[in-house]
Amino acid sequence: MFGGMVFALCGYDPEKLVFDVARASFSNLFGLEDLGLIWSPLILTGLAAAVALRIGLWNIGGEGQFYAGAIAATLVGLHVQAPVGVALVLMGLAGFVAGAAWILVPALARAWLAVDESITTLLLNFVAVLLVTYLCTGPMRDPANAVTAASAHVPYEIPPLLDDLHWGFAVSVALVFAVALLFGRSVWGYEVRVAGANRHAAAYAGMRVRRRIMQVFLLSGGLAGLAGMLEVAGTVHRLEGGISNNFGYLGLMVAALAGASPLAVLPASFLLALLLNAGIVLQSYGVSKYAVLALTGLVLMSAAVGERLAYYRLAPKIPGAS
Amino acid sequence: MIELLTGMLATALLAGGVLLLGALGEVIAERAGVFNLGVEGLMALGGVTGIIAVAHGAPAVAGMFCAMLVGAVFGSVFAASVVLLRANQTLCGLALTVAGGGLAAAAGQSYSGQPAAAIFGPVHIPVLAALPLAGRAVFSQNPIIYVIWIILPLALHVLLFRTRWGISLRAVGEDPAAADASGVRVLRVRFAAVVAGAALAGAAGGFLSLAYITSWSDGLTGGRGWIVIALVIFGGFKPLNMVLGALLFGLITALGFVGQARDWPIPPAFLSMMPYLATIACMVVPPLLARQRRSRFLAPASLGVPYFREQR
Repeated sequence: MFGGMVFALCGYDPEKLVFDVARASFSNLFGLEDLGLIWSPLILTGLAAAVALRIGLWNIGGEGQFYAGAIAATLVGLHVQAPVGVALVLMGLAGFVAGAAWILVPALARAWLAVDESITTLLLNFVAVLLVTYLCTGPMRDPANAVTAASAHVPYEIPPLLDDLHWGFAVSVALVFAVALLFGRSVWGYEVRVAGANRHAAAYAGMRVRRRIMQVFLLSGGLAGLAGMLEVAGTVHRLEGGISNNFGYLGLMVAALAGASPLAVLPASFLLALLLNAGIVLQSYGVSKYAVLALTGLVLMSAAVGERLAYYRLAPKIPGAS
Repeated sequence: MIELLTGMLATALLAGGVLLLGALGEVIAERAGVFNLGVEGLMALGGVTGIIAVAHGAPAVAGMFCAMLVGAVFGSVFAASVVLLRANQTLCGLALTVAGGGLAAAAGQSYSGQPAAAIFGPVHIPVLAALPLAGRAVFSQNPIIYVIWIILPLALHVLLFRTRWGISLRAVGEDPAAADASGVRVLRVRFAAVVAGAALAGAAGGFLSLAYITSWSDGLTGGRGWIVIALVIFGGFKPLNMVLGALLFGLITALGFVGQARDWPIPPAFLSMMPYLATIACMVVPPLLARQRRSRFLAPASLGVPYFREQR
């Protein structure tokens, strides 16, 4: 899988570019911090998608939940007067709740009506994008800012961990371990995994499958919403149109690369962050933004194929395969 | 009032036609058991191909044909990945969406914002065009809409449900192992179905850029590829039902335009949300009303499952 990605990257680019990308990302603290700023939202959106995949469902709406979380966090940040710590916690809660609320209808429809969740969650992304457009050009627009359509500056900032990298990164990583523990070591997590493997068997065993689907989806939406809140409070400090940077969609790829394992989200999102960062470096070399986007897609496809091919090499060693 | 309805119907036939064309393609792939989430990317590629082709002097029909061709080429890359190499269909579909959107935007940069050099212009049919309501909406448009709305759905319906070829294709989507045992070449059928579906998705993009919007800009598809996928589900995987669904979506889109043009006291962003919200409503409401009829059972049984001959 990794071989596929690296191979694709080398295959499409001259070696020199690869070295430059590596140097830009790793040679100094600044590059690493930039990487971290891309990495942390990817961890959370990847985790959100992975959580849903654990119960065998696709939450393609990470993008919309991200926006919902960003909207709620901005609203709280702009209208609540409190000490920084309290305000940040409130914003985080608001982001989580908004993300969960954004997935509520698809979750209910999935759990009780067996309506395909991948489409309903995805369609809400477009609604969220339009809602943000409306808010940023209408009621929430900062009149002082004539150039870009964005909300006013949010006065609360997450304190930095290093120079640029904020504590949101640490929160994201901590949440990965918390979720991994929840799924790997609790009865609840066990039930979710059983329901994901075989819903009917889980129901026969007396597990409340519908309730688990609801809980997992709300957690998934909440995590994506939290990612949106961290982006507002930690990096961007206001609500604006392109704030999600496609992190929601990319999170889906993270989860798929990670094979839906919460812990594997860390390396998978790191890989994707590296790829995105490489894209930013490539842009500074005059490669167009769109070509970079196309490249990302191609690399992901080769990753998907590479994963399958890696499986092939292993297969002959399994004895007794009929 | 009549004027308003005529305008709405005319827009609906164009907007819905894009969706219908894409959905007819997607249903071929899905009936064969392949879930192609890359429609959005294929449509973007088709759209930009159409624009580039007409900019180099091709007539609109040739532009749409080129769009089909490009759709088929990228569809065969996707098919090679998911059918032959059995890679994860969801992941590859998303990758195709990202890659297709990026490639289309990169290729279309110098054509962005300009009107298309050749479009599917209106053709007035002598007597029928004078009819009150349907006249201008239905009989004063390019004849290609009859192909999309009548000929293609009927042909596909017959092909899928009344021919030997169709039963092989559906068998591959329901139970590939059984189809294989009865002599159907599973991978070959799936590959062909995906490529054919992708060609139609490309054509949908061409129709979008040459007949409906008639120009190219980045993000032209605007999520239509995803509505296409929802439309397939909404239509119960049946081409003829999808015609009604597409008309409904087209009318909802047209309603949004009417609202903007007439300065309804609703912000345009909310009007633009309507097709998406309507899609969700269309998916949620039917099972809510008839809870014993589970729409999911209409889906091909092996949708999204790669086929390994050796695996039981």
